[in-house]
This record gives sequence, structure tokens and C-alpha cells, in this order.
Amino acid sequence: MGNLTSYPKGALEWAAIFLAVAILIMALFGGWFTPYDPLQIDFRGKLQPPSGEHWLGTDGSGRDVLSRLMAGAQLTILSTLVVIAVVLVIGCAIGITSAFVGGWLDNLLMRLADIWLGFPPLILALGFAAALGSSLEAAIWALIFSWWPNYARLSRMITNDILSEPFVAGATALGVPTWRKVVFYVIPNAFDVLIIQVTLDISAVMLAISGLSFIGVGAQIPAPEWGAMIAGGRAHAGSAWWVVMVPGLAIFVTALAFNIIGDMLRRELDPTTRRRA
Amino acid sequence: MAYILQRVAFSALSLFVLVFITFLLSHVVPGDPAIAAAGPNAGAEKIAALRTEMGLDEPFVTQFLIYCGNILQGDLGTSWFTHQPILDDLLRELPPSLELVVIAMVINLAISLPVGLLTARYNGTTFDDIVRLFAMAGAGLPIFWTAILLQQSFAADWQLFPVAGRIGFEYRAFEGITGFYLLDSILRGRPDVFFDVLSHLILPAFALSLLFTAVGVRITRTSMIGEFRKDYVTLARAKGAGEGRIMFRHVFPNGATPSLTVFGMQFGWMLGATVLVEEIFGRPGIGRYAVKAVTQSDIHGVVAVVFVVGLVFLLANLAVDMTLYALSPRKRAEG
Amino acid sequence: MSVRDDPLLRLDRVSVALRQGGREMVSGVSLSVGRRELFGIVGESGSGKTLFTRTVFGLHDDAVVSGGEVTFDGRTMPAKSHHTEMKRLLGKRIGFIPQDPFSSLNPSMRVGAQITEALYLARGLSPKSREARDAAIAVLAEVGIPEPDIAFRQFPDQFSGGMRQRIVIAIVLAQEPELLIADEPTTALDASTQRLIVDLIVERSRTRGLSVILISHNLELLRQSMDRIGVLYSGQFLNLFQADQLAHQEVHPYTQALFDCIPTKDKTLADIRPIPGEPAGAGFGLAGCSFADRCAFAKDRCCATPLPINDAGQARFSACIIGKGA
Repeated sequence: MGNLTSYPKGALEWAAIFLAVAILIMALFGGWFTPYDPLQIDFRGKLQPPSGEHWLGTDGSGRDVLSRLMAGAQLTILSTLVVIAVVLVIGCAIGITSAFVGGWLDNLLMRLADIWLGFPPLILALGFAAALGSSLEAAIWALIFSWWPNYARLSRMITNDILSEPFVAGATALGVPTWRKVVFYVIPNAFDVLIIQVTLDISAVMLAISGLSFIGVGAQIPAPEWGAMIAGGRAHAGSAWWVVMVPGLAIFVTALAFNIIGDMLRRELDPTTRRRA
Repeated sequence: MAYILQRVAFSALSLFVLVFITFLLSHVVPGDPAIAAAGPNAGAEKIAALRTEMGLDEPFVTQFLIYCGNILQGDLGTSWFTHQPILDDLLRELPPSLELVVIAMVINLAISLPVGLLTARYNGTTFDDIVRLFAMAGAGLPIFWTAILLQQSFAADWQLFPVAGRIGFEYRAFEGITGFYLLDSILRGRPDVFFDVLSHLILPAFALSLLFTAVGVRITRTSMIGEFRKDYVTLARAKGAGEGRIMFRHVFPNGATPSLTVFGMQFGWMLGATVLVEEIFGRPGIGRYAVKAVTQSDIHGVVAVVFVVGLVFLLANLAVDMTLYALSPRKRAEG
Repeated sequence: MSVRDDPLLRLDRVSVALRQGGREMVSGVSLSVGRRELFGIVGESGSGKTLFTRTVFGLHDDAVVSGGEVTFDGRTMPAKSHHTEMKRLLGKRIGFIPQDPFSSLNPSMRVGAQITEALYLARGLSPKSREARDAAIAVLAEVGIPEPDIAFRQFPDQFSGGMRQRIVIAIVLAQEPELLIADEPTTALDASTQRLIVDLIVERSRTRGLSVILISHNLELLRQSMDRIGVLYSGQFLNLFQADQLAHQEVHPYTQALFDCIPTKDKTLADIRPIPGEPAGAGFGLAGCSFADRCAFAKDRCCATPLPINDAGQARFSACIIGKGA
């Protein structure tokens, strides 16, 4: 019930939602409308400050930063969404199976998830990406590989909660088949919790992908992935601030927008607070 | 006692999974590890020889057992780019990284615990809102970007801190004992070296800690809010205790305990995140070692870092859990 | 009237409202608690009894005293600084026992330290001193803790619920208050322990000459151990009577209904009559009697006529406008 976020009524949240939608649109379609070719090198026009011609300036090889930012949104954000979508499906499949089957399989999978969840995801992904050979695809696989236990744990917990509800026990007594229970009881009830987790994970996965690209195991320079753009611009951080500032701000603003939305969803939808009301 | 055994067993199981994962990463995922081990310019004969030498013609399980045996003997392979045993490399690179992570953790705790306590006490006020906004912003900061910006502004432009390195040029001859320069400078009675090393640590540690601090504040806040609602706070108030006494004597010790588990996990995560910071600040350490190994396609070097970070992570968590157990009222009452 | 006959605590038309939004949760409570008097407040859950007492005694952050006067030992609390004034009395002249002994002791502090802290806050005794230690062990013995010198060094989770509540009582008694408030001190305990704890509170208070306010939903428990009882229902103060009159004189219909629910040895199961309907809950700002829709005697005007409010000095009172129990 704070003042800053509830008055004026959700201004911060609305700004975040607006930004998130704008960024998603840019990620989907921005690549087609770039003012310049994001990979076009022009050494004579390198490191130009922002101007009417190049709104966000040019980088160390004379490439237009705005064009790279727009094209890079596709790489950074769509890879993030791919990671989360795959992890969501795989994780939930494992978690729901674990809860329904129970017994030793449940024990084994959840112990494994516990252990897995413990290891620092960045370093695990680094190892996996290095093993696969550095590329954006490797980074995506690496993150899928290290992120699934979050969703397995979460979906198993929710499924177990729902399975212990009296109405599901009633359904079992009536002979409702398992797939119907999953589709009609588990998924609708899990939706709220999962959507909160997904929103909050968008920023975490995005930071991880751009971080992997920054250290050279993800997208490779000169690809306009935002982390790789920062890596490429590092040498010019002192003389041409925009080269590092622009992609970094893009990551930061996107992450912040999704964090704010996630925080809002958590406060609005969280079953622990909702049940009490 | 049963708790300790259970906890140790879980750590042992985790260690086994860790070894198995690193085995998969170094022997299965890359396709032919012999090619990877031989390096980019090796001929077919050398690769074939290596394959036999590495036991790759053996069945999968045998290979895994050989791998476990090697690890038990401390044999993590030979680095492709330093031509040294990887174990020696890591023993040299680990102290500077641990030093960095410890300082980052100190910053993290110094901010998270008091701010978390205060936001819990003033839950719902404008102060709480502002901190929450900062925490959300902090959780969205790319560590490597923050590091570059801090380096550019505080070090390069304003020259408040050294730009890069672990120790000043004038102290390059300083010989460590343990490899932890902060500790070594105290042991050798060199305050000048101590402050020089510390000034090299501030910016990278701060860059490393920001993201974790943002999470730490939230975790601490949640845990403290739960404590403020408990009746022992009411009883303390009824006893006539002031707000300061209630916060620090009563709420804090109880509320800090559950968040310590999270800080224990953060220790390992921070060690992993050194890959994003050390390279930028030109600091030696396992993070920079891992990045170098990646760029040199030295899979064994990378996997060894994965293994060591995982190991430190397991040990840190075990240590925190044991400490909490030793401090728990029941345990203290037994002893 | 001599000074000693002054009531220790006097509430005059006291109302309590939420800090945010200002909704009035409990309105117009007048009562006085004499020196050495044991006063019970009975009410169902949701009647506002806990909110009311916690707020009046400065232990609730989300609610404030929004009207009326609180007088303690002849000194009326200024409305503006009620909270601060009350804090000055807490731990010195007023003691408070919270509801749940499982959470009202600090789990990470030794029992002894929690008592010596109370001694330090009340009398400035150094917590580490021999004197504080002896006083703490003495008070532990007083509340019936076996081997008090061992208990002194133990942590709360080594005690059962009943023992914990004894320790809480020891903490409060150590401060030598004049008024002891106990908020549902037995709800979290099993039935046989409940009796023991209430008996302990009564017996210690009689011996030490304390005034007591005991809050409970259990009318029978209060009837057997308190001198007078006040009845709170949905934020309204409905009835005030001598405990020993309950079975013999007419009381407010709600009190009567509560009494009829109590199983006793001369009642058969058929005699136990549950009150129809659901309790209204505090904070709805009803104009009339909030019990009207469940009351067997209710007339149309019960719902519309503002409730009468008693005078703080009155010994008995019924808020029933159709004259029941007055």
C-alpha cells in the first residue's frame, strides 16, 4: 500500500507495461525497419556521436547503433523467450509427471532438481556453451540445460497442492482420467504462479544470455546481440560513451520493465495473499 | 546429529552429480574429446594416440570411473593454453577470486541486512517503496555493464580508484604467503600494501555485488516482516523495550537466520559471476581463466572451473547450514 | 470516596479506528477496573476484543484510539500522545500477556535473558547482575517452573505450551506491574492446561494485589474466575455485570445466548442452544444493535436506534434498548 506505486494509480506499472509491449514489438518487427544495415561497416564514419543522421551514433566500425539495437532486440529478447518457453514446457512436464507418478521417480527427479538448482546457472551454462562451441544457439541450449529445475520444482509443488484438494480427490473417485485432471485442474490453477515466475525470469535469462555473449560464448561479434555489442564497444567506453551506454541501457530498461510487471503480478495474483482476501 | 549426517549425505550426492555433469561436458557433449584435447592443429595420428591414452576406446562406465579416479587424484588435465596442470592453474587463480567474492559479500551483507531490516520495520512507507524500486532496478543491471561504467567513471575519468589489476605497479614485487593479498599484507605488516590491494578490490567487488544485493535486500525484508508480526515483538513492546532494542536485539537475530541460507548460495553464484567482472578489471582469477579457456577452446580448462565453482558452492552451503545448526537454540542447549 | 477506591483504569466512551481510512472498529466502550479487581472481557472471534485492547494499550500499529478518554491511576491520557504516554507505562505499571505462547517468546534468547531484560527495562537492574539472576529465578519458581535455575539457561523451544505461558507470566510478573492484561492467554493450550494457567494468573494477581483484564471467548472460564465481565460483540460494548450474577439475574440477550451455549452438568444436550446466524464482525458502523438480527427478542427499532453508552463508573450495564438485563 505504498504511495509511490499506488498513487498516481499504477503509473509506474503502466509505464512498465507500455515499455514491455514496445520492446516486444521491436523484437518481433524491429529488424525489418532499421534505418541502416546493422552490419554495414564504414570506417570513415566510425564513432560518430548521436546526430540527426545517426540517432544513437555509430560504433567502432562505423555501424549505426540504432539499427544494431533494433536488430539486436530480436537476438536478445527472442532468444530469452525461446529459453523460457522451452524451459517452461520441459520443466512443467517433469514437475507434473513427478507429482502424478510420485514414489521413487518423484524423489529422484526432485533430488536432482534440488542439486541442479544449487549450481550457479551462469557457470553451468558457460561450461555447456563451451562444450558445444561458442554460438548464440549454444548459449540458448546451455541456459535451457541449467534453468529447467526452477519450473520442475514449481510445477510439482503446485500440482501436489492441487492434487490434495478435496475436489480433485472427488474427481479421482469419479474416474476422471489423468490428462483431464492436468488440463482442467492443474494448468488453470498453476497459471498464476507460472506467469509470475516467467515474468521475473525474463530479466534473469536475458541478463544471462547477454552475459554469455559478452564473455564470448554466446552470440559472436559482430552480431548485434546486446551483450556482444557491449563487448565490442568496450574499447571505446572512454571516448564514445554511447557505444556501451545504449545497449546496456536497453538491457537494463527491458529487465526493469519486466521486473516491475512481475512484482505487480506477484502482489496481485499471489495465491498466498489472494486466498486470505 | 541425524541432521548433520543427512546434510553431509546430500552434499556427497550433489558432488557426485557435479562430477557426472562435468564428465558429460568434457567427454560426451563436445563430440570427440580427443580432438578437443589434441588442439586445433593436431594430426589424425596424434588424435588416435590420444584417444587410446585417454581411454576413449573403453566403455562409457569405465571412462566415467577413470574420470572419477583422475579427479580424486587431483588430476584435472593439462591446460591447452598455459601448458600447466589445470589443478596448479586453479590453485593459483582461486585466491584472488575468493578475495573478490568475500569483499563483494561483505558489501552485500552490509547493505542487505540493515536495509532489509529497516524496510521491514517501515513496511508500506515511501521509504519502503523507494528501496523496492532500487531493488528492482538492481536486479535488472547487467553486471558486466555496471562494471564497465564504474571503471570508466570512478577509475578512468575521476581517478578515485585504480583502473585495473590486483595490486599497484609499485608493489609488484610483493610476495604472498597464502595467495590472499589482503591477508598476506596483514601477516607481513604492510598496511600500505593492504590499502593498495583493497582499493583495487572496491570497484569490481561493488559491480559484482549489486545484483546480489538487490536480491538480498528483498529476501531479508520478507524474512524480517515475518518476524515483526510475531508475538514476541508484542511482548517485547509490552515489556517497554524501545524500537531500537526490538529491531536489533529481538527481530534481527531471528530474521537474519533464514536469509543466511540465501547468502550462502549467493557466495557460489558470485564466484560464478566473476567471469563477467575479472576480465574487465584485468584481475587474475578463475573467472578470467574460464573466459580465456573458452576463447582458446580449452574445454578441460572451462570444465575444471565449473567443477571448482560447484565445489566451493557445495562447501559454502554446507558451512552455512552447519553454522546455523550450531547456532540454533536446540543445538546450543545440548552443548 | 477515598483515593484507594478510585478505579485504576477508567475507559470513557473509548473508540478505536484503523489508522488507514479511519474506519471505526470498536465504538463507545466505557468501563472501569478497580484496584485488585479481576475484569473479564468476553467476545467471539472478530468481535474486536483483541484489536481494542492492543490499541488502547499502545501495542497496535495499524489502529488508533479515535475517541473517548483513557485514565490510568487518575491521570487522563492526552488524545494526541496516547501512544507515547502508554509506552511509558508499559513494562513498568502495565504488563501484557500475548495470545500465543509458541510465538510470544523470542526463540533465540535464553529464558533467563528474557526475564532479566524485563527486569532491566522495568527497574534498571543490570541484566548480568547476580541480583537480576536471583530475581529471575525466584519469579520462575513463583509461576511453578520446576528447577528454575536450569530453566533460566534454557531456550523456549525446550518447553511445552503451558510451561511457555508460565514463563511469559513470569516475565510480566517480574516487572511488578499494577495492571496485568492477558489477551486470550489460553486459546493455544489444551483444555486441562487452560484451567491451570488461568488459575495461576488469578492466584498470583490476588496474592500480589494486581488488577487484571483477562480477554477470552470462553464465558464460562471468565465467570468462574473473574469479578466482573464486559461483553463485546461486533465492535459494540453490550453488557457489563458481576460474574456471580450471571446465573441468577437477567443479563443482555447476547450474554444469555452465550451462557445457554455452555454445557454444564445440569443441562442435557437438548438444552444447549447455538446462537442462530453468523457473528457480524467488527467495523461495519451499524447504527443500531449489531446483535439484533440474531436476537430472539429483537424489535424493529433495535436495528435503527443508536445504542446507549454507559457511564464509566457504572457497576453494571446493558446496552439492550428493550430493557433486557439492565
